[in-house]
Amino acid sequence: MNMTPSSSSLPAVADSSVAPPALSDEPIDMVGLLSLAHHPGAGAVVLFSGEVRDSNRGQAVAFLEYEAHTAMAASMIAEILATARERWSLHTAIAQHRVGRVDTGDTAVVVITASAHRSEAYAANKYIIDRIKHEAPIWKCEHYADGTKEWGNNCNCHTVTGDIHKHIYE
Amino acid sequence: MKIHVYAALKDYFQPEFEVRGELVRNTDELKTLLLTLNDKAAEILSACRFAVEEGFIDNAFKLNEYDTVVIIPPSSGG
Repeated sequence: MNMTPSSSSLPAVADSSVAPPALSDEPIDMVGLLSLAHHPGAGAVVLFSGEVRDSNRGQAVAFLEYEAHTAMAASMIAEILATARERWSLHTAIAQHRVGRVDTGDTAVVVITASAHRSEAYAANKYIIDRIKHEAPIWKCEHYADGTKEWGNNCNCHTVTGDIHKHIYE
Repeated sequence: MKIHVYAALKDYFQPEFEVRGELVRNTDELKTLLLTLNDKAAEILSACRFAVEEGFIDNAFKLNEYDTVVIIPPSSGG
């Protein structure tokens, strides 16, 4: 079993011949990832960037620290992307999530989808980020400006569905 | 049996530790054993997923004493 913790060295961007890594411990190269998304059959490219807010529930946030089960998260994100590609006939589906420290204003996760028309690219993009947030074994720890910290904003769908494997997507 | 925990579970347990695997045949029994180590973890353990060899398991999965069990708190990525 690969129990590699989030401290492993993970490249931010791969070349265009291979899928970009799903996890990166370096700042996400959003422009580089976007450059991989263009496709002659795609009339629409949608990019979602999840960024670190400077406050959470009224408290000033200094930075976030993301942890992941690297192997399982990468495998799950690959499955999510493959499902989206199939369901919406996407030309491109890319997702990359940060691990390690991410400062306020920086990018924590990027999802890029490209399809013939915009409705599919939007729908697929939302599907991908929703599933990553609810299902992938990635966790954020909020480090507040006052020096306290808190593992937070966990998926709590199980309190409604009664099943830790069943989620409610917005 | 080796146990690996992540994120908020590290507030209750060491990141990696071992339990007597012969006492644990499934995830319910593992949860019971873990609560003897720290009963304050009851709420979060009830929301956790369990995995062996990078695949999620449920209570029907028969654990053996040489397994490494990963305990996965609710996700909070994004």
